[in-house]
Parts: sequence; C-alpha cells; structure tokens
Amino acid sequence: MAEEKKTKVLLAQFPLESHSRGIITVAGMLRDAGMEVVLMGDAVPEQIVGVAVQEDADVVGISTYCGGEVALGSKLMKVAEKRGIKDHTVFLIGGIFPPKNAPKLKKIGFSGVFLTATKEEIVSTIKSALASKRLSSVA
Amino acid sequence: MSEEKTTREILKEKIPRKKRTPLYNSQALEGIRKEFDRWMNTVVREPDRKNWEVTPNTILGSEIPRKLLYTPLDNSDLDYNEDLGYSGEEPFTRGIHSNMYRGRVFTMRQLSSAGSPEQVNQRIKFLLEHGATGINLALDLATVQMFDSDEPEALGQVATVGVPIDCVEDMEAIFKDIPLDTAGVSIVTHYPRNTAIVFPMYLVMAERRGIPWDKLPGSVQNDFIMENLVRSAPEYIPPKDDFRVQCDNIEFLRKNVPQWNYVTLNGYNLREWGTSGITEMAVALANGIEILKEMMGRGYDVDWVAERLAFFWAPANDFFEEVARLRAVRRLWYKITKYRFDAKNPRSMWSRCHVQTSGVSLFREEPMNNVIRSAYHALAAVLGGVQSLHVDSFDEAYSVPSAEASLLSLRTQQIIQAETQVTQVVDPLAGSFYVEALTNEIEEKILDEIDEIERMGGLVEVVASGWLHTKISRNIQREQKAIADGDIKVVGVNYFRAPDVKLPDVLVHEYDEKIAKAMRDKLARLRQRRDNEKASNTLNALKETCKRGGNVMAACIECARADVTEGEMRRAFVEAFGLWKSPIFV
Repeated sequence: MAEEKKTKVLLAQFPLESHSRGIITVAGMLRDAGMEVVLMGDAVPEQIVGVAVQEDADVVGISTYCGGEVALGSKLMKVAEKRGIKDHTVFLIGGIFPPKNAPKLKKIGFSGVFLTATKEEIVSTIKSALASKRLSSVA
Repeated sequence: MSEEKTTREILKEKIPRKKRTPLYNSQALEGIRKEFDRWMNTVVREPDRKNWEVTPNTILGSEIPRKLLYTPLDNSDLDYNEDLGYSGEEPFTRGIHSNMYRGRVFTMRQLSSAGSPEQVNQRIKFLLEHGATGINLALDLATVQMFDSDEPEALGQVATVGVPIDCVEDMEAIFKDIPLDTAGVSIVTHYPRNTAIVFPMYLVMAERRGIPWDKLPGSVQNDFIMENLVRSAPEYIPPKDDFRVQCDNIEFLRKNVPQWNYVTLNGYNLREWGTSGITEMAVALANGIEILKEMMGRGYDVDWVAERLAFFWAPANDFFEEVARLRAVRRLWYKITKYRFDAKNPRSMWSRCHVQTSGVSLFREEPMNNVIRSAYHALAAVLGGVQSLHVDSFDEAYSVPSAEASLLSLRTQQIIQAETQVTQVVDPLAGSFYVEALTNEIEEKILDEIDEIERMGGLVEVVASGWLHTKISRNIQREQKAIADGDIKVVGVNYFRAPDVKLPDVLVHEYDEKIAKAMRDKLARLRQRRDNEKASNTLNALKETCKRGGNVMAACIECARADVTEGEMRRAFVEAFGLWKSPIFV
C-alpha cells in the first residue's frame, strides 16, 4: 500500500477580516499534527475555492470575526459546489460569531464549526469528516 | 547591515557622562550585602534558594525572570535626580505632568461599539452622558480596509465591529449634535491610507459645520505597522509607500490641525496580535524614530513635529511589569528625543499615551472573571501614569461590547478615579526596589530590540522582509501551546476549570441587513447627486500626487469635499502604488 498522503489544509479568511491571530494559531496546531498547511490570507469565496482546486486541498478552514459568516459561508459553498469540490472537501469555520449561527453553518456544509476549540478537537473533526467524505464518495 | 549609527550607539555617545551621586552609600550597601548573605544562607529555605528566580508565564509577558525578593543591591548605583527626578521634569520617569491626576484625571475614552452611523451617534451620547470624557470611534472592517459598503467584499460585514463610513455624510450622522471642540475625538483609523482617506471626511464635516480646524482636539492612529504587519487584508501597498503616506499625513495635520495628535503609534494591536510588551514598545519607538528622521529630512524642526506624537499601549496581566513598562518607556523616549534628535521643548520628550486593557487576556469561559482582569489591567495603567484609558468589557471574547458592558467598563474607570484614591499621589510605586529594578531592565530590553531592528536596516526594512511577521507568528503559536499545556494559567479555563463549563447567554452584536441596505442606498443616491466630473478630477489629482510627490492628505481633502467615497480613494492609492504581497508566515 502506498504511503498515506499528508492531509492538505488550506486556511483562509473572508475578504475583510483583519484579525489573523486565530488562523496563525490553528496553522501551527495542524502543522504539529502532521498536516500540510497553506495559509492564504484574506480572499473572496471565488479565490478561496480557486486555490483549493489548484492546491488539491483536502480541507478548507475559514477564520472569521467581523461578520459575514453566514452570507459569505453560503457563497463559499455555492462556488465549491459549482467547481465540483464540495463533496470531497472538508470545510471548517471558526472564530467569533453569534453562537446561534452555528447550526446554520453546519447545515450549509461546514463539518466543523468552532467558537473555541483545542487542537485535539480540530484534528479529530478533520479526521472523522475526511473519513465520512471518503466513504460517501466511494459509495 | 546599515552604515548608519544605531540609536543605542548615538545615546552612548551623546548622553553626557556625569559623575553619578548614588542614593545608597557604599557603607550602607556593604551592610546590606552582608545581611543579605546571612539571611539567604540561614533563613531562606533550600527550595526557595534553588528557585530564587522564576520566569513568569503570562499571556503576552516578557518572561523576565523575577527574584524572590528585591533589595537596594538590585539597583545599587541608583542616582535619584538622574534616574527618577520629579514629575513634569526630565527624565519624566515619574510622569509627564508635575501634578499628574490631581491636575487632570486620565481621559475616560470607551470605544463607541458597532452599528449604523445613527446608532453609534446614540452610543457616543450615552457614554458622554454617563461621564465619559473622550470619544473613541471604532470603524467597521469594511471601513478599516477602505472598502465601500456596497463593494462585494463587504458582503455581510457592514456595521458589524464598528461604524461604517463611506463618505462625509456618514461623519455628519455620527457626530450630529456632538460638540467637536470640547471632548477629544479619537478616530481609530489604524492605517496611514485609511487615515488619509477617512480623516479628511471628518475635517470636511467640521468645515461644513463652520468649525475651524485649529479648534479641533483629538487623535488618529496613522501607523504603517498596522497596515503592513499587524492586520491581514485583501490588499496592501508596499511598506515604503505606506510609510510615506504616514509622514504625509503627519505633515498635513501638523500644519493644518495643530491640536490634533497626528499619530498614535500603535503598540496595542501589535502586542494583542501576539508579542511581548517589550517588542510592543520597541517597534512603536522604532517607528517614532523613523518618523522624526523622515520629518527632519523634509526640513522640519524636531520640536514642531514631536510635540504631538503619541503612543497606544496594551496593559495586560503581569501587574508590576506593566507599571514598570510605562515608566521605562517614558524615560527611554525622553533620552531618544533629547539626545538623538536634540529636542529642546519638554513636550517633545513626553511619551503621552492612550491605553486599552488587554483583550486577548480575556476569555469566553466564566466571562465575569474578565471584569476582574480588566480592572487590574486598568489599575496598572493608572499607577503607570497614562493619559487616556479604555477598559475592555467582560463580553470581549463574544462580541463588541453591549451598552451594559460598556457602562461597566466606564464605571471601572470611575471607581479607580473617585474611590480608590490612587490618583492622589504621583507615581506611587517609585522607590520600590522591585519596580525600579524592573523599570531599568525593561528599558534596557526595549533598547536592545530597537538596536536589533536598526542593525537589520530599520523598521520599514524588517517589515518588508517579513522578519517581524515571522518572529511574531512563531510567538503566537508558542503561546497557544503554553496555554494548552497549562504553563500559562487561566483561571476557569485551564486552571480550576469548572467540571461542566456552560457558556452563558451573552448578548452578541449581530449583523443587520437593514443597515447594510441603507448604506448601499445612500451610496447610490450620493453618486447620483454629486458632481461626478469633479469627483473624478479630484481622484485623478490624488493619483498624480501619489505618483509624483506632494502631500497625499491634501489631495484627499479635495476628494472629500467632492464627496468621493472611501473605496474610490482606496483604488486610487492602489493604482498609483501597486500592490504588495504580505510575507508568508513560516
């Protein structure tokens, strides 16, 4: 059996997000957990999906603080679907937003929605979401 | 490596070597040493002797080791008049005013929160009615990043963490019925470009109300470190151009708005992003040095420039370190302005500052604990002699503060001012063996880091190269590990964590599509009613000024008069200077 490919994670922020402490922290956690991390910075959903396709990312993680999580999150999912990566890519979102938006974000397709999380929680969410995506894409 | 002498080298050369008059005579010191050794060897317990120095682990701390006990031996050559002196006099260690808070209490300047221009107008009035003495205008992120409310990038984010400002009309709504010439107005513009774009809208608003610019008190941030280092953004202009915009703003404001603090060198956001209090101050001072060099290069007198330069600091958890830092930076900035730049006016040697208590030191779990944390941060700031204060609110980790939380922060300030009596006596911790030793050590460490930056070619260069980005992002990751591992203790989070943590229902500010729509409609009306040819001519003039020289803020004033919007001006800057890619974090 071939050596297992490193999980590749693209981390980005929605276009006007100026706070990067969170995403830098998460980048460090995931790298420590043996994943390959691409840190993209601020971008509109079209750009984020474009890079995800180009990098063949397994996971796309979004950091948000300044609002727009629902509006831009929905747009991200639409673009991902259009470009054909939604089914096999794991989407995560974390940051500061009204807790009542968490179920909405799950519903539109984010496998992990974090207001706070430990490294272990994020890593295990990624692993189990990847496993279930692979199962469903095989099926 | 730079050919130029570093600040440390210049200070070493130029500070006169006077014979010091030590406060402690040698006989007394000898006696103290003898008794200290006896005590250490016979009274102090073995484990304490072994762990005589411990390194404090705190969020954003300096990690300067601390002894179990301090004595005159830790500062044995203290020369009172030289090192400490009197408040209102050189070297300003004890404070910039002789009577400090008896003369004028610190300005109580709570941030104005989020919402539409009309809602923020109400919040400002609410705070002033409850005793706030300064205005602190926070902008939404579309405005900070210089996008109009109707650009696609602003989707879902308008009016979420501050107030949206697209044009002069918004400034008029925010400041409706608020006097502009009494309470000082701080406009949190962050970036030089943002300052060049948004502040002219304030000036044009004042002009339309018939208030002369020389009657306006207040401050802007105007710090290229914010734009090119601290914040992430969809687009950046190159650091050297941004530094030029910063200095153009300074030049324009000094000439035309003389009571305005044209720069608030922002250590705060840099530290909160993830660095120690030492780096916070070293970077801000290095920027101050670059500004004075540039402005003198443009032919201005150092005293004319320096008297309106101000700083912005982030007092956090390590109580005595925070007090010592504020004292240390006052003495160091005095030495730099006096000996490196030959300032003559005492005002130029003052490091005046606004502070905001640390936000990243606050947590979601048991949020009322944050009230206690912020009160200690605020007390350290006041004992350190700050001029102006914002106290973070208990809901910091959830949202921009609710009116209730904001009022509690204001009350925290008022209790310190009116009930604790700490404001009666100037610099009350001076003379503590511990605080004086720590003040000396911190001053030295700040100067070490300024030296390091200057040896690598100066601040603009270490930002352009990504050296500072890498240094700080590594620190962010290291610190998170220290919290996760429990090396940094956070009560109720990783220390005495409740067995079943339930997050309480905290009122969270929410996005309101109605406000966003009103902003978009207003922009559509504006573009119809204004003279679009005039608007486009002023924009072309701005581009030319960026490319060929001349003062960019002067060009932006003409844009604001022609009702040009924020996003239109941003694009003019980008077209003229081109884009810069922020160095990738390693």
